Amino acid sequence: MIFQNIITGIETTLGFTTVSPIVNYAIAALVFGALIMVLITIFDYIFGWIERKLVARIHLRHGPTRTGKYGLLQNAADFIKLFAKENIIPARANRVLFLASLPIVAAIFAFIVEILPYGAGLYGVDLTLGVLVAFVLISFIPILIFIAGWASGNKFSSISAQRSVLLLISYEIPLFVVIASVGILANSFDFLQIVNAQSSWWFIVLMPLGFVLFFIALIAELERPPFDLREADSELIAGWLTDVGAPLYAISLFIDYTRVFLGSLLVTLLFLGGWDGPVLPPYVWLGIKVLVVAVFVVVLRATTPRMRLDRILRLGWVWLVPLAILNLLWAFVLATGII
Amino acid sequence: MKINSEKLRETLEKMHRDGYKYLVKLTAVDYTDRIEVLYFIRNMDNGKEEIVRFDLSTKNPHIPTVLDLYLAADWYERELSEMFGIKIEGRNAKRLLLEKWDGKDPPMRKSFIWSKPYEGMKDEVKWAEKYKDDKDKKDGDQNVIRIGKPLK
Amino acid sequence: MGETKINIGPVHPSTHGVLRLVVTLDGDTIRKVEPHIGFLHRGVEKLVETRMYMQSPSYMEKIDYVAPLSYDELYVATVEAALGITVKDRAQYVRLIQLELQRIASHLLWLGTAINDIGQLFSVFMWCFKDRDIVLSLLEEATGGRMFYVNQRLGGLNRDMAPGFDKHAYKALDYLEKRIGEYQEYLESNPIFMERMKKIGIMSKEEAISLGVTGPTLRGSGVEFDVRENYPYYVYEKLHFNTQFENGGDCFARYRVRINEMKESIRLIREALHIIPEGDAIGMPIRLIGPQPKEKEVMVRRELPRGEGMMYMVTEGQRPYRLSIRAPSFINTAILQHLPKGHRLQDLFPILASVDTVMADVDR
Repeated sequence: MIFQNIITGIETTLGFTTVSPIVNYAIAALVFGALIMVLITIFDYIFGWIERKLVARIHLRHGPTRTGKYGLLQNAADFIKLFAKENIIPARANRVLFLASLPIVAAIFAFIVEILPYGAGLYGVDLTLGVLVAFVLISFIPILIFIAGWASGNKFSSISAQRSVLLLISYEIPLFVVIASVGILANSFDFLQIVNAQSSWWFIVLMPLGFVLFFIALIAELERPPFDLREADSELIAGWLTDVGAPLYAISLFIDYTRVFLGSLLVTLLFLGGWDGPVLPPYVWLGIKVLVVAVFVVVLRATTPRMRLDRILRLGWVWLVPLAILNLLWAFVLATGII
Repeated sequence: MKINSEKLRETLEKMHRDGYKYLVKLTAVDYTDRIEVLYFIRNMDNGKEEIVRFDLSTKNPHIPTVLDLYLAADWYERELSEMFGIKIEGRNAKRLLLEKWDGKDPPMRKSFIWSKPYEGMKDEVKWAEKYKDDKDKKDGDQNVIRIGKPLK
Repeated sequence: MGETKINIGPVHPSTHGVLRLVVTLDGDTIRKVEPHIGFLHRGVEKLVETRMYMQSPSYMEKIDYVAPLSYDELYVATVEAALGITVKDRAQYVRLIQLELQRIASHLLWLGTAINDIGQLFSVFMWCFKDRDIVLSLLEEATGGRMFYVNQRLGGLNRDMAPGFDKHAYKALDYLEKRIGEYQEYLESNPIFMERMKKIGIMSKEEAISLGVTGPTLRGSGVEFDVRENYPYYVYEKLHFNTQFENGGDCFARYRVRINEMKESIRLIREALHIIPEGDAIGMPIRLIGPQPKEKEVMVRRELPRGEGMMYMVTEGQRPYRLSIRAPSFINTAILQHLPKGHRLQDLFPILASVDTVMADVDR
């Protein structure tokens, strides 16, 4: 458990024992949080670059080439540019909510990322109901997005926020049902237990249907194309982000990339055996798997048009929910050990 | 087909019954003493085309709407009323279609002078008249005038 | 939920220029669409009255910047008809080839933007743009210009096709045909695309005729009408031209018509290149006092990429007395008042894209 390691590390380097365990815990949490933020930032940076380059290649373009080798510094330049710009607040916006909602969403995502494990000994806290905690936190997002869209006082933003909520709520149900079947199969809602349960067979092999459902529902939760109703560039200009200024937009980009990271990590942990893999060290395996999933998400973006709202809802309720329940039954069958 | 302006509805209704259901274009020409309005209509079954035309006086011109026969007339009529100041009876188009206009004359009338006609070719016109009967010029060159002296 | 009014445009990613739509929504359902045009009105018709005949072609090109050559040719053909000039034999073929190339370029751009409109599928847009570039290179070889051409002269052209054009053209056309086939296969096997195009913005045959729509929008509603076949000009009669039409009347039918038209255009160019006669195609120089007009008024129609374009010209001496332009986009945009009613907000943009408007053409 990495918290304990951090605490002992601090104690040995500083040469004294801190006063109370609560202080220890707080310090350890801060250090761990900082580490994870660095990790997310690195992932977001690499993922942002991969997305730009890969999408550009699919478009038969080059993508960024001028800044650094292969345009590697382009994201940094953009980030600096976005934060150097003026933050414009529309006159009819609700000032407090408009400014606060995006950072809060970002904070929630950062928090979720911190309760996930990254290796057999690489985790902050070992929550027995970790999966549930993560998904409960994820289901907070629609409310915040709705607030963010409404707060900007722009009709495009509110339409986008409404769509977003509609989409997220209807896809959370199949998502949760699939997670329940994973829990049944692993006999736990603890991420560590789930990864350990996959040491012989990955759950993607045991529950291919569940994996497909989970992936579709997850893409919808991430609101990536073809479910990107929230942004809907060609219709709603930029959706809930129509009125935000550059610094807030930078935060929204951070949210988007963190979401993809979170999504890929969840897929990897729940279905692809986590850090399980031969020869290479576990964290390399984890990194490879997360990147593969993320790249798949990017390819989806470059090759699918946006779905219609009513069709998305029909897909969610008519297909995903019954199939998820079917998958749940299949998980029961597997768990009893008949097969 | 030249008709009287009063008979427009009557004529178009008859033509519409005869299968001329496609309004190609509705336009007008300002001849300073009169305004000619033209309806290009087409029978889509056999491809026959007819031009229904009639004259209007320049003072207070008005025509009845044909929107109930041809939905295509919608914007054409509005364009006409905006550009030529022709009142369309039976239509209440408050909003101008193309541009806000505060000038007195409708823009496409000849009385509205927007820019002077180009006069830079006056000399060339003289050359053209002078060399009109020149027999030596090559075929196809008759009407070509180059700047400066003509080529030998 | 009561009715909401939202204002789309005039600056919006999907309105293809400066179109402003005031949409009344009931929930997510469109109750009323009110297009506002005129942001790009330049008064070309008035301007032309003050210019001599051959001073205007470059203005005409700017009417429709996506297919400039078509308008250029339409205007020059009108002047030719007014002055009673016959076009040289070879020039007729070259013009036909150029017009069809322009049609392919315009439709390719349409395909890209339309698919971008239905869902951020920027890939197809980029692919189409790249292929359009090939067509533009061909046009450059044929006319000397890439974006604006001003290559038409009375009775012929300013310059003939570059030597070796046909060889390059055959090669490029083969490639384009392959690519267009690939796009079609890719898009039509994509269930999301089909879902968003089929049964959206349905317009029956009678409605289409009454609304006066033209071009692929009309042919998508099952009306077999193409100026190239019904009122043939140049050498379309000699070639084996088939009018492309679909019976669906929805966005998909309009998409399909354009795809098939591109294929048909490729075929026509090949055919024309096979039988093109040798000879002179150069028209009169531009600096000219034309002959006195033979006709008092003329009317010329052409099948432009966006639909049937028509020019009605009243002549007076060396200038047009009045030039009335029937712009296909103008009449096609007017149907936006009727088509999207009852659809979802998301369907507005496929419908808008499928009628293929160019705002400069609407406003003139």
